Amino acid sequence: MSALQSTTALQTARRLGVSESGLAIVALVGFALLPIFVSGYTIYILPQYMLYGVMAMSLALLWGYSGILSIGQAGFFAIGGYIIGLSFKWIDFGNPAYIAFVVAPCVGAALAGVLGYFLFRAGVRAAYFVLVTLAVSIIVEQVAVSQSQWTGGWNGMYVPRMSLTLGTGTEISLFDDGPIYYFVLVVVVAIYILLRWLVTSKFGKVLLGIRENEDRVISLGFDASLYKTAAFMMSGALATLAGALYGTHAGFVSPSLGGVLFSTEVVVWVAIGGRNSFLGALLATIVVASLSNYLSAIAPRYWQLVIGVVFIVVIIHFRGGIAGALGRSGAFGKHKRGQDG
Amino acid sequence: MAEFLRAENLTKSFRGLVANENINFSIGAGEVCCIIGPNGAGKTTFVSMISGHEVPTAGSVWFKGRNITGLPVHRIAQMGVVRKFQTPSVFSELSVYRNIELGVLASSCPARERHGRVLETLKHVRLSELSDQRVGSLSHGQRQWLEIGMLLGKDAQLLLLDEPTAGMTAEETHSTGELIRRLVNELNLSAIIIEHDINFIRDLRAPVTVLHLGRILMEGSFEEIAGREEVREVYLGEQK
Repeated sequence: MSALQSTTALQTARRLGVSESGLAIVALVGFALLPIFVSGYTIYILPQYMLYGVMAMSLALLWGYSGILSIGQAGFFAIGGYIIGLSFKWIDFGNPAYIAFVVAPCVGAALAGVLGYFLFRAGVRAAYFVLVTLAVSIIVEQVAVSQSQWTGGWNGMYVPRMSLTLGTGTEISLFDDGPIYYFVLVVVVAIYILLRWLVTSKFGKVLLGIRENEDRVISLGFDASLYKTAAFMMSGALATLAGALYGTHAGFVSPSLGGVLFSTEVVVWVAIGGRNSFLGALLATIVVASLSNYLSAIAPRYWQLVIGVVFIVVIIHFRGGIAGALGRSGAFGKHKRGQDG
Repeated sequence: MAEFLRAENLTKSFRGLVANENINFSIGAGEVCCIIGPNGAGKTTFVSMISGHEVPTAGSVWFKGRNITGLPVHRIAQMGVVRKFQTPSVFSELSVYRNIELGVLASSCPARERHGRVLETLKHVRLSELSDQRVGSLSHGQRQWLEIGMLLGKDAQLLLLDEPTAGMTAEETHSTGELIRRLVNELNLSAIIIEHDINFIRDLRAPVTVLHLGRILMEGSFEEIAGREEVREVYLGEQK
């Protein structure tokens, strides 16, 4: 019954010509126009959810396209948040936010690179890799707690809102929620486009091959461990960058931002949205995070139960998440038919 | 003729169990060779030592004058020594096109020419019609051809084919033999083929190496091999 329903939904979507790119444009226009109609808390909170969405997309690259699950993404995200906080504290030249936006992805990529290089080269398989990424989350949280002279420990760290500075000395304040909303939106769209491009490149195709049959990829002459390390680095860099932007937007970072709980939440978002679709992961994150927020206000006791049930229903009925049920997009060009699975 | 592939005193033992012992073997560019032998004769182990999937306990493998013994699989594959596995190893969730494309991506083919190369390879293995099909929906025989296609897409020089006709109908087996002969002639490839199918081996008209208990029992043409009593005993006899 359910299989039948999802097949029909899939066919309907195809008949209607629903493509990921089309939906992405609709979503973009929607988000761009939203501040005209609503203001206040919604406009304040949405960019943070969009940045969670970037973290979710970074996981989709790893999990959906390379078959490597990480439950350490929040660890990277928190590192980014602390980097921008320290950047504002320590750096008194130039624009501390810009410096953080360069340093954060480099740190994220370096950390992922070191871990990935040793783990993948040693042939560590998926299940063990997950455990290591879990450790990343725990370590980040513990370091944030213990190194309180830098991080503020359990009290967290306050981060100022950034400004945009241009070389000419012009400064555009992003202190108000409206301007920074658009700044975040632009960054998120840019990252989305980058990822979409990435998976259609040779790199992305090889990653997909690794997900499907790693031994075959190696036997064709690809250094799979190198590709997996590169994917993890890319993923780590994006999550860390998103965290840095989150830090300056939220104005506050605390150890729990890097915790295991938050890391697993990201996995849930991606599973619901569809790990093979960046748009699915992004939108599911925004919707589920908003829903969690709303439900926690009206039903503080039961909201986690509701999210849990949604998660279970989606996993049982659509293994590819909501995006999988809607049919894959043109992300893979004209030979997309073979991509459904 | 310049040296192509040579195995010298190749030995492999797994915790005392000797799978291959002192195998000396060579094949020239553009040549085909069949390896036969009963189950457990060490055929797959032998091929695995060439492809890098197994590291020899002793001995060495030379490809075009380079010692490739113990190199990682992907490095050996990059040189053009590529392998088809006993059970077809393909990308089931991807389309036929994407499968071949991954082979082409592994080659030195420039980006602009990739699409043309994929189409050409699809034609070679007669899968052009099924280009958009998901590989999961292909028959066993078609998957075997697809895997051979992937090896062609990557500029293979030496094909290591482990039972390319396993699970095929008599007709499919026959056309696989034709395919291999055609590829070898047109593309000047070399191939080491592990096979069980006697008709296939006879049709191939290639030199045959018989392995038994990890050693080379004898080498020769199919007719020479088939006439020998000891071969019948260890191998052909077992089939009847």
